[in-house]
Amino acid sequence: MTLTETTQPIRKRDLRIPLAAILLVVALAAPFIGSRYVTHSLIIALIFMLPAHGLNLLVGYTGLLSLAQAAFFGIGAYTAGLLAVTYGTPFYVNLIAAGLVSGALALPLGIPALRLRSTSFVMCTLGFVIIGQAIAKNWVSLTRGDMGLSSIPKPYFSLGPWSYTVSGTTAFYYLALTIGVLGTLAVWAIVRSPAGRNMIAIRENETLAESVGIPTWRYKLIVFMLSAVFAGVGGSVYAHYLTVVSPLTFQMYYSTTMLIIVLGGGAGTISGVVFGSLLFVGLTEALRITPELRMIAYGFCLLILVFWFKKGFAPMINRFWGMIGGAK
Amino acid sequence: MFSTILEQVINGIVTGSVYAIVAVGMTMIFGVLRAINFAHGEYYMLGTFGAWFAIDYLGLSYEAAIVVGVLSTIVVAYVVGQLVMRRMVGAPAESGVLATLGIALVLQNTIILVFGGGYKFFAGGYIEPVSILGFSLAQQRILILVVCVLVFIGLELMVTYSRMGKAMRAVSQNVECCEVVGIDVSQIVLRTFVLGAGLAALSGVLTAPVNVSVYGGMGELITFKTLPIIIMGGLGNVRGTFYAAMILGIAESLVATYVGLQFRDTVGFATLILMLMWRPQGLFSTQARF
Repeated sequence: MTLTETTQPIRKRDLRIPLAAILLVVALAAPFIGSRYVTHSLIIALIFMLPAHGLNLLVGYTGLLSLAQAAFFGIGAYTAGLLAVTYGTPFYVNLIAAGLVSGALALPLGIPALRLRSTSFVMCTLGFVIIGQAIAKNWVSLTRGDMGLSSIPKPYFSLGPWSYTVSGTTAFYYLALTIGVLGTLAVWAIVRSPAGRNMIAIRENETLAESVGIPTWRYKLIVFMLSAVFAGVGGSVYAHYLTVVSPLTFQMYYSTTMLIIVLGGGAGTISGVVFGSLLFVGLTEALRITPELRMIAYGFCLLILVFWFKKGFAPMINRFWGMIGGAK
Repeated sequence: MFSTILEQVINGIVTGSVYAIVAVGMTMIFGVLRAINFAHGEYYMLGTFGAWFAIDYLGLSYEAAIVVGVLSTIVVAYVVGQLVMRRMVGAPAESGVLATLGIALVLQNTIILVFGGGYKFFAGGYIEPVSILGFSLAQQRILILVVCVLVFIGLELMVTYSRMGKAMRAVSQNVECCEVVGIDVSQIVLRTFVLGAGLAALSGVLTAPVNVSVYGGMGELITFKTLPIIIMGGLGNVRGTFYAAMILGIAESLVATYVGLQFRDTVGFATLILMLMWRPQGLFSTQARF
């Protein structure tokens, strides 16, 4: 012990806990610091963080590049919207149902898709988005077709005689923040568990993972379903926030956005996804960049990420975190 | 009844020809790069926009617009090829997917940003109908058929006999050996890519008078239709791509008539998923690539 202390003579103070506390206070006080529009941008960022966390489990931890996230996002949005409009169920019921329906649908879709590798898997998952959009457009009796579902009620909670309706941007921000934090903690728990290590083993070398007894097929299927659950939950919050769901929820645009968050922030890191959603969704929304310019920027980001900046911002975040933690 | 079916089949063959000219470029690019070009439909869109620009802004004739559309796309493709596609030689499949998705985003949204996202009227082409064997068919559709047949004969000859075609086949078989015997792999990739993009643009320019409207997002749909075709045809297989494009064109046309127009665009992806499940090597899995 003394040896390590003497070899590190200049030991800076550990600033990690103070910084985390400051970030927490900023996150809690954000609606009162920034304008309403900033709060709105943060809500959008928090909503997109959930499907991005799910995608990160697939891309970053298990090594499966999927474009299907928009499909499950849309399924979640429609499930929550339909429940709220038709039955007026409370928010948490819609949220849980959206997660469960997306996850359940991921099973029959995942079984054939996961038999494919690399590019074929990507094409197949892209197909889910297109077919999802076609179903949302054409199953008019359920989805009202191109008109979509409108006037989805504000999220409300009820427990016995007590009930509370989330109205206003600030209240919604706290709702989204709570769900975002819970989602992040859930991913953290998954990744830290033995299952998380097995997922990383599959990413690094699937054959080797199989040979040491990891049921790779079952793992991939479960992770695919989990990612769909995250996307579905995100979709349900999105539906309640925008109060409108249309077939355009099934769009490549959403899959690309989620992909940019994960890859840009740093695939295989949780802090990267949080940072990525704030940067790529929150900031672009706050700056009111038009969708076209945003997509051009995303396109260039993808090219830069692929050829020059392979790990995204994750190494920088880690270095910064280590620096303020007193390490050299 | 029978004549309606026949008419739909003929329409399907015309649509199939359009798809075939686009898809053959994509399948050749896959052959040399082992990567799916998710931006391929964007070159189709660029060609159409180039021609539309030439007619609407420069006041050129349709014939000149074809040249402008194809050449401007070739220039763009050359730049993209130099900067991006050449780097993809030997890169993992995921990088190819992401890089080409990035290119698609940039090309598509730049066009929308510059020209606006709305539909534009394409004023050009030979739209007078002619009557053949009792069917009336627009001249433009006949032109598409003829060009498609010529393109495929030309490609078949090029791939079999020319130096470039032989080099392409070699690269598609073994990149390292090509480098050993002195074939400039990245040059071949670049040329194949520019050729493929140029063909996609040609298809776009030829189809524009039939589709009438032009819009920035049109390339995405073409990319999505091209994917099932190249899988059905067997990746890297020129002749297979031709047959597969015809099958998809006819199937779409029949589905649009007898099932419902709204299901037309779903046929491709349903086919894609079924093909990937049961015959990922394609319907025409010959040993010969190209």
